[in-house]
Amino acid sequence: MGNLLFPLAVFFAAIFTNNILLTNYLGMCSFLSVSKELETSAGLGIAVTFVMAVTTALNWLAYEYLLVPFNLEYLRFIVFIIVIAAFVQLIEMIIERYSEGLYFSLGIFLPLITVNCAILGASLFMVIREYSFMTSFFFGLGSGLGWLMAIMAMAGIRVRLKTAKIPYGLEGAGIALIIAGFMAMAFMGFNGMITIS
Amino acid sequence: MKSQSFYAKRINPIIFMVAVTVVCILLTAALHLSTLELVQENERFFLWRSVLDAGGITHEGTPASVNDLYKKYVTQEDNHYLIKTDDGVTRFVFATEGPGLWGIISIMVGFEDDLKTLSGVSIVSQNETPGLGARIEEPWFTAQFVGKQGPFRLVEEGTSSMADEIDAITGATRTSESFRNIMNRLKVEDGNSVGRN
Amino acid sequence: MAKSKLKKTFLDPLGKDNPVFVQILGICSTLAVTNKLDNTMVMVLGVMFTTALSSWTLSIMRKWIPSRIRMMVETMVIATYVIIVDIALKAYYPEMWKQLGPYVGLIITNCIVMGRVEAFALQNKPFLSLVDGLASGMGYAYVLLIIAFFRELLGTGTLWGYQILGSWWTSWAIMIMPPGGFFMLAIFIWVVREAFIKEENNG
Repeated sequence: MGNLLFPLAVFFAAIFTNNILLTNYLGMCSFLSVSKELETSAGLGIAVTFVMAVTTALNWLAYEYLLVPFNLEYLRFIVFIIVIAAFVQLIEMIIERYSEGLYFSLGIFLPLITVNCAILGASLFMVIREYSFMTSFFFGLGSGLGWLMAIMAMAGIRVRLKTAKIPYGLEGAGIALIIAGFMAMAFMGFNGMITIS
Repeated sequence: MKSQSFYAKRINPIIFMVAVTVVCILLTAALHLSTLELVQENERFFLWRSVLDAGGITHEGTPASVNDLYKKYVTQEDNHYLIKTDDGVTRFVFATEGPGLWGIISIMVGFEDDLKTLSGVSIVSQNETPGLGARIEEPWFTAQFVGKQGPFRLVEEGTSSMADEIDAITGATRTSESFRNIMNRLKVEDGNSVGRN
Repeated sequence: MAKSKLKKTFLDPLGKDNPVFVQILGICSTLAVTNKLDNTMVMVLGVMFTTALSSWTLSIMRKWIPSRIRMMVETMVIATYVIIVDIALKAYYPEMWKQLGPYVGLIITNCIVMGRVEAFALQNKPFLSLVDGLASGMGYAYVLLIIAFFRELLGTGTLWGYQILGSWWTSWAIMIMPPGGFFMLAIFIWVVREAFIKEENNG
């Protein structure tokens, strides 16, 4: 029984059957506001994926080697947030230093990512489900890719809706939520594709 | 002059952040430690209540009643709980767990003397979807196991008739399947050993 | 003069400037917990508590926070209040705590809390910020409770766990699942915008 099989199952589950946005509702705010354009959605999605993958791994290490040995699990909220905020701050400084272009296009997203509930949520789920290091990393990566996929799909649909007539009450957030609802239903069709047992 | 502003720009924020962090951690730690005993009592209450439920012993649901009955009828052995009622009935309760949809589902499973017929099942902890998977905690779900024998098969909610059929929860297919898997994996050899497939 | 500002600070988040259906904040938790009324109640009380006190605390600190680490400090203070809620629930309402799972922790990243701090508390006096935080929490609360009312009723036929609709009602299970949450919120926003805000804009 490959040690790699479970992390891979979790990886695919995080993208399709347990999509962090469409099944667990995390990361909605930036999802609803940014998904109007394809390019910005892609940019944000990639940034989220990167941060999610790395911070899940870092937080796992912090949890296992810092919090658990000293019985400080209840401090995990504080520690995880510090790790995420510090990491994003670090990335921002690196990008600012080495790539003007990237900073210009991606820079505004970085503060948005710090407060993206999906990123903190991924780390919290990893703790609740007691994932191993490998699994946590793949879970973070998969969750990020799932989020990216959802926001890209949403952007694709919304771009097409630009020329459609939408009732005043539904403009903006309303129609985005309805689209998200249908997407969530569609993703429910993936149920059972992957069973983790 | 210039070095002073350098100092202020880089170091001050760090000092401020550390100060705020320390205050927050102290507050949190203080609250945590002051409620620690209460939390542990709650956890023990849940555990003992589950053992009694799985062992088919009725109680009033209050901590007092649970504590009394537990101390009266239950002895904790190596890997199981031994129950001897006033009527001379012996039951064995085993703790087992497995992955659910969102996290680990921990349950207590009680067997009659023959180690095949179930005396009860009780959920110790679960993290499933509220209103759907979390319904495994509802009395009707766990009660249906009483008197039945594994390995179990899932049938549509409300249609079970045979001794190895279990009603699934409508809309919570995967949690139901996970639960069935946990139940079927529990392997009881004799009163002293338990293994998992 | 001050009194009317107080009144405005309190009333705006309840209607005109509602965090959920006008500012579109705090959506994650809106969707996640509104499939049962009792979960929702605990969640909104937690958010009200956190938003009010975080706004108040950060408003007091506002003159000393270095701008570079502003967000980290905000998050730290908010996180601490949330942990207080978490520990309190765990100790005094353990059954409820078990049900809310990771969502209590997610009050931290609930955009409403952070949003109010950034938009109001950092530029206003403590007491006013407290009122704003409280009102924002209340604005959030009633929206969620209404949505939860419909989702639980239509989804399981119960209200607060008590069976209301008899067995003649086939539950719309979709209501308590993720898509139901999205649709209910969209409908809510639609109704409110058509009925109230459109009038205001036209009149």
